[in-house]
Amino acid sequence: MKKIYLTIAAVMSWAMMSVAALAVDIIVVSHGQANDPFWSVAKNGVDKACKDMKISCKYTAPATFDMVEMAKLIDNAVSQKPKGIVITLPDAAALGKSVKAAISAGIPVISMNSGSDDYMKLGISAHVGQTEFEAGVGGGQKMKAAGGKKALCVNHEVGNVALDRRCAGFKKGFGGSVEILGTSNDPTEIQKAVAAKLGGGYDTILTLGAGLAGEAALKALESAGKVGSVKLGTFDMSPGMLKAAAAGKVEFLIDQQQYLQGYLPISIFAQYMRYGTMPAGVVMTGPGFVTPQNAKSVIKWAAQGYR
Amino acid sequence: MSDYLVQFNNISKFFGKVIALKDVTMKLRKGEIMCLLGDNGAGKSTLIKTLAGVHKPDEGEIIFEGEKIIFDSPKDALDIGIATVYQDLALVPLMSVTRNFFMGREPLKGPPFLKTFDIEKANKIAAERMGQIGIDVRDPSQAVGTMSGGERQCLAISRAIYFGAKVLVLDEPTSALGVHQASVVLKYIVKAASQGLAVILITHNVHHAYPVGNSFTVLNRGKSLGTYEKKNITREKLLSMMAGGEELDKLEVELKEMNRLSS
Amino acid sequence: MSTKSKSIQSKTEFNQDERLQKVSKLRLLLNRPELGALGGAILVFIFFGIVAGDTGMFSAYGMLNFLDVSANLGIIAIAAAMLMIGGEFDLSIGSMIGFAGICIAIPAIYWGWPLWMSIIFAFSMAVLVGYFNGILVVRTGLPSFIVTLAMLFILRGATLALTRLITGRTQVPGLRVLIENDPIAWIFATDTFKWLFTWLGSINLIALRTDGTPLATGIPPSVIWFIFLAIITTWILMKTRYGNWIFASGGDKNGANNVGVPVGRVKISLFIGTAVAATIFATIQVLDAGSADTMRGTLKELEAIAAAVVGGCLLTGGYGSAIGAAFGAIIFGTVSMGIFYTDVDTDWFKVFLGAMMLIAVIFNNYIRRKVTESK
Repeated sequence: MKKIYLTIAAVMSWAMMSVAALAVDIIVVSHGQANDPFWSVAKNGVDKACKDMKISCKYTAPATFDMVEMAKLIDNAVSQKPKGIVITLPDAAALGKSVKAAISAGIPVISMNSGSDDYMKLGISAHVGQTEFEAGVGGGQKMKAAGGKKALCVNHEVGNVALDRRCAGFKKGFGGSVEILGTSNDPTEIQKAVAAKLGGGYDTILTLGAGLAGEAALKALESAGKVGSVKLGTFDMSPGMLKAAAAGKVEFLIDQQQYLQGYLPISIFAQYMRYGTMPAGVVMTGPGFVTPQNAKSVIKWAAQGYR
Repeated sequence: MSDYLVQFNNISKFFGKVIALKDVTMKLRKGEIMCLLGDNGAGKSTLIKTLAGVHKPDEGEIIFEGEKIIFDSPKDALDIGIATVYQDLALVPLMSVTRNFFMGREPLKGPPFLKTFDIEKANKIAAERMGQIGIDVRDPSQAVGTMSGGERQCLAISRAIYFGAKVLVLDEPTSALGVHQASVVLKYIVKAASQGLAVILITHNVHHAYPVGNSFTVLNRGKSLGTYEKKNITREKLLSMMAGGEELDKLEVELKEMNRLSS
Repeated sequence: MSTKSKSIQSKTEFNQDERLQKVSKLRLLLNRPELGALGGAILVFIFFGIVAGDTGMFSAYGMLNFLDVSANLGIIAIAAAMLMIGGEFDLSIGSMIGFAGICIAIPAIYWGWPLWMSIIFAFSMAVLVGYFNGILVVRTGLPSFIVTLAMLFILRGATLALTRLITGRTQVPGLRVLIENDPIAWIFATDTFKWLFTWLGSINLIALRTDGTPLATGIPPSVIWFIFLAIITTWILMKTRYGNWIFASGGDKNGANNVGVPVGRVKISLFIGTAVAATIFATIQVLDAGSADTMRGTLKELEAIAAAVVGGCLLTGGYGSAIGAAFGAIIFGTVSMGIFYTDVDTDWFKVFLGAMMLIAVIFNNYIRRKVTESK
């Protein structure tokens, strides 16, 4: 019996010594896990900004996309009384209570990446990100300039408000005829669905995600031998699509530049902590266009985790 | 006929083409201990299950206290007063003596819709009944797992008696026990019979059965080789009947022949 | 015979039966299934108290946060413990949580039902699902592990498919406005003891918002439900005939059947219990978040089982404690939130959960052998 007590005491002491608690200046609560290729770039932005600004930060996220869990993390952050909280806002209804509690406790909140429509009514000070509709408009305009007349907008998650907006904005900027093709998020199914449509005289295709939908659409075009005759553009980036862009097979990638989504809120807070300054409204980090012209350098930075 | 408490007349049980039991007859009076002997595969477990109400006999009848009875389920047999104690004892080692004793038949107390298990009363009764067998249960809330095999067997039997068994069917009660514990159990069985219960003791161990039995039925390959009063049969004869005595004699002769030829 | 009974009565006078060794009080206590979990919970609090004491984890707001997580887990852990004591597992709890959430949200938002009706509908579906699980296990004799694993997939798939079919998406928002004035919803959505927190705020014992009201507003509904369920299930297990039947069904289902315990009915009722607990969890969560999501509850059944095991329940059934499972849930809830106050990577929480389960099983095994040691 004595041995068991001693072991427990030893383990506890060792654990206590190796674990430290932090008083952190800024806590980031994101819905994106740090090991996700997209979000690791954002986290790099957070970490770099903290170093540059000489303040302390912590990046936290729930283990899966779980709004209930995320609300808990925001509450958790509030109890630590940081100087500011940065959040993503994929679901204002679910997170609203926790966000309002933070603000009413006197902790300023900045949102990034998602929630450009809802952040103001929750009392969030500013939003850093890419608004979907405007990004879609930009993409549409670029395709129009490239000569596109009949387009397909591949939506792999109909009902996801952000994605719906992208297609809607694209339609506005494009001007020509735009048909929305709803698919599942299974890459094989997306490829088949696009291939099935290729006989319909479309000269432009826009996908709303690179790794998943973009590469599937590209495969469909390659199998049908239509690369080049059908212009392909996509939202977001993936190594495969970047390579294709460098090879001239893809018209553009719309880069929301999530590195800035991680970096800018921290630097904004740092200035706020010193001088009380705060931008008003949305700080747009995108659309940034990755084209065959600049693809090579983007690939270089992507490999280092900055894009 | 009417001084028999229970009669199992010409019981037969078939499973498809297999004849598990054929024309087995056992009659018991109150206070009589009948030992049912037979080697493995003789049909003992089928017979027990028929007595316990798990199987319905395909032929034959069961007469209890003068009336013909058909069991639809083990519960029917239990309700009439035929209690079967199986080899696994139906005891949960992790639960206390009291909870095991009253399993399924817990005493209740309290207002109509909020009846609770009257543990105090149950503890008292369990300790009392065990004491009557001669087992001092120091703490009736101790787990049954702390009791020896013999004590557990006695607990199972005591439970059956407490809940009104008139006929006890015991399946191999001493097979897993050492000599001392077996004798504790056998003594209890004799005491139970002396209080008016009829006991059917199923075993393959003649040395345990012979001292306590009043009558013996030998089962061999589903058939009864006869029922004998103790004064009419010896232990050795029972042994040889069980083991298929004639066959062993023949084997002995053959072996002698082989030895003679090879030397 | 009379001398024997006299010796029983005189036992109490004696107090020195030579077979009773001097067992230390502590040893006796440790024989109870829940003490391991209680000890674990105390250790966890001491640990975080020392390591994260001044981070705000033990502020009123911080404590309510991890207690809420613990309580929610506790609700399903207690039900899972009861079922485990009865000898079975329910792996479909997590899928039931998602399914129940959709059963509340879709009728309320898409079919115009009043919220209270949707909630009753969800609970009715829970009874059906639990009954179905139970009947399948009892009639087929298949291990509940397999049956409920199949239900895990069936329920989750049905939830996804039906939701997408009816709504075109995987989330159903918009429930928050329906809570006010609803006759049933408040039971799952109201903070209690608000007066206590207002008073504590007024004497500056807890943190305040910029408008003077306390940051922590009240005890979350999950905690009240958790305490209520813990008390009721413990009473059922220890003090009622039905509780004895649960132990019996899990300890020796054939033997119990042979002495007249309605094992089938007991098990079916326990499966209904886990499904209903999952629905309580889902209702609280849906009303708190104001939305239902088809993926909610994923993997929660494993956490519930882990908490039950840490609480002293044997995987083979027949032994365990609902209170123990409650402490197990407190341990996991506290650690899962407490990690965020330290510099430890939160992925380590899974390692911790698995390690605790392993330690608990080894410890429980040791205890079980002690308890059933025969002479």
